[in-house]
Amino acid sequence: MALFPLTSNFEGDFVLQLVPVDTEHTMDEVAAAAAVHSVGRRVRDRPGHILRVRRHGSTELLPRNLKVAEAGFKPTETVDIIWQAA
Amino acid sequence: MAVLNRMDWYDLARSTNWTPKYVTEDELFPPKLSGEFGLPLAAWENYDEPYKQTYPEYVKVQREKDAGAYSVKAALERSRIFENADPGWKSVMKAHYGAIARGEYAAASAEARMMRFSKAPGMRNMSTLGCMDEIRHGQMQLYFPHEHVAKDRQIDWAFKAYDTNEWAMIAARHFFDDIMMTRDAISVSIMLTFSFETGFTNMQFLGLAADAAEAGDHTFANLISSIQTDESRHAQIGGPALKVLIENGKKEEAQKRVDIAVWGAWKLFSVLTGPIMDYYTPLEHRKQSFKEFMEEWIVAQFERALTDMGLDLPWYWDIFLKDIGQTHHGMHLGSYFWRPTLWWNPAAGVTPDERAWLEEKYPGWNDTWGQCWDVFIDNVVDGNMAKTYPETLPYVCNMCQLPILGVPGKGWDVKDYPLEYNGRLYHFGSEVDRWVFQQEPERYAGHLSIVDRFLAGMIQPMDLGGALQYMGLAPGEIGDDAHNYAWAEVYRALRETRKAG
Ligand SMILES: [Fe+2]
Ligand SMILES: [Fe+2]
Repeated sequence: MALFPLTSNFEGDFVLQLVPVDTEHTMDEVAAAAAVHSVGRRVRDRPGHILRVRRHGSTELLPRNLKVAEAGFKPTETVDIIWQAA
Repeated sequence: MAVLNRMDWYDLARSTNWTPKYVTEDELFPPKLSGEFGLPLAAWENYDEPYKQTYPEYVKVQREKDAGAYSVKAALERSRIFENADPGWKSVMKAHYGAIARGEYAAASAEARMMRFSKAPGMRNMSTLGCMDEIRHGQMQLYFPHEHVAKDRQIDWAFKAYDTNEWAMIAARHFFDDIMMTRDAISVSIMLTFSFETGFTNMQFLGLAADAAEAGDHTFANLISSIQTDESRHAQIGGPALKVLIENGKKEEAQKRVDIAVWGAWKLFSVLTGPIMDYYTPLEHRKQSFKEFMEEWIVAQFERALTDMGLDLPWYWDIFLKDIGQTHHGMHLGSYFWRPTLWWNPAAGVTPDERAWLEEKYPGWNDTWGQCWDVFIDNVVDGNMAKTYPETLPYVCNMCQLPILGVPGKGWDVKDYPLEYNGRLYHFGSEVDRWVFQQEPERYAGHLSIVDRFLAGMIQPMDLGGALQYMGLAPGEIGDDAHNYAWAEVYRALRETRKAG
């Protein structure tokens, strides 16, 4: 359990934002933490979609239950938060 | 006694140099301060300034300029122009004074470096006058806003902005420190006068003077044009220095300095001038879009200045040409969304009519930035104000210190340009910002951005309140919508009509 800063690049939003997460958080929890700062503020919710996480610029989505500690992120590394049809 | 004509003695007088006997040339002109280009004194004696003015001429002309600007101010002091001005216009003044006034004093010290340490006699002459210009600009732009301090606390930022850690000021300081406070005399002439002043301040001041006249603020319009006449003279200090460098095989060094300074200036203008021209200025007063203005003043004129000089266009020119239609929309949305962190009240500028104008000037605006604004506007109309404010920091670039942003909505294209250096992960807003860092990493590596400071625990408590305190924004100073969201009424009405229909 430790605080871990990531940078969120949220699909549809215009700016990178600092998102503090926990090393024990799963990728689903990371996506939810990032959504707080984008969805309903500058990005419309997309019913019928879930949010997935990938390394910035990668096309490969990280497993939903992968933990931050296991992902090997560098502090403040940028992750893309992507909408996926459920 | 007959007085010689200026041109009969000027050239001879200004190039009467002495040959140091008791000290070495390097002691008289330390390379760190005079420029490490390895050119002998004789090479710099070929520096030929296009604008020749003697000290008595200077004093006479400047006295008249001061008298003009100060008398307009005195005549209009009781006019209540400020009280009756559109709130968007007041914001323009506040942003301008805060970001510029004290920077003028800093510029005086940069001019003083050229005055003492340049090996080119003509440059020493011109920057003697340039230094006095900048002192005048500092004095005027502190004196003129002072009459409004009692009416509006945000005006106090004309005086204090440079002493704060407000994010836009960190960005401004980082840029000015880089191009004028920590460079040798020759580099200052290239980066401050040629790149920043010829390229960009001309535009800020000409554009603003026109805006001020439109807004009926003749005091400000006169002040700004008075300053501009000095700028257009001392902005010419860098050109002949570039010529000397190019003639002596130093084109690459010269070009690099131009490329670095032009990019930094562009980023600063994208956040300061872009929102003003395309969002704060009332629709009926808009002459050109920011992009059109950039294309006319920067692209066309500065391109010519570069090529006339024998320089190339910066390697990133294609990136730049694309960005002038995009970056400032993001800078506006960002500074507006994080509006409590500004010392002025930004105007939203997104009524249906204004959006139609934006769509016309920037085809696709509604499908991109407009998508973000749609969500924002719905929240305002619903009274859901908590969602119209941020709860975290935008990630900022480790070079320009401005938010890292791109195109939102249907054209989503936002990129980070990271770089690991000595075990630290840096983030940049563009390929160019990262390139600037890579030219001289040690120069920039130690600087902490506002986000780095937050993560280092330097901002306490770690919330908006703590951030505002860190930035020096007292109650009564923090920014909010310029028109108190009155512009959203038209959307409320539209929604009512839709419901009724
Ligand atoms: Fe100036
Ligand atoms: Fe200047």
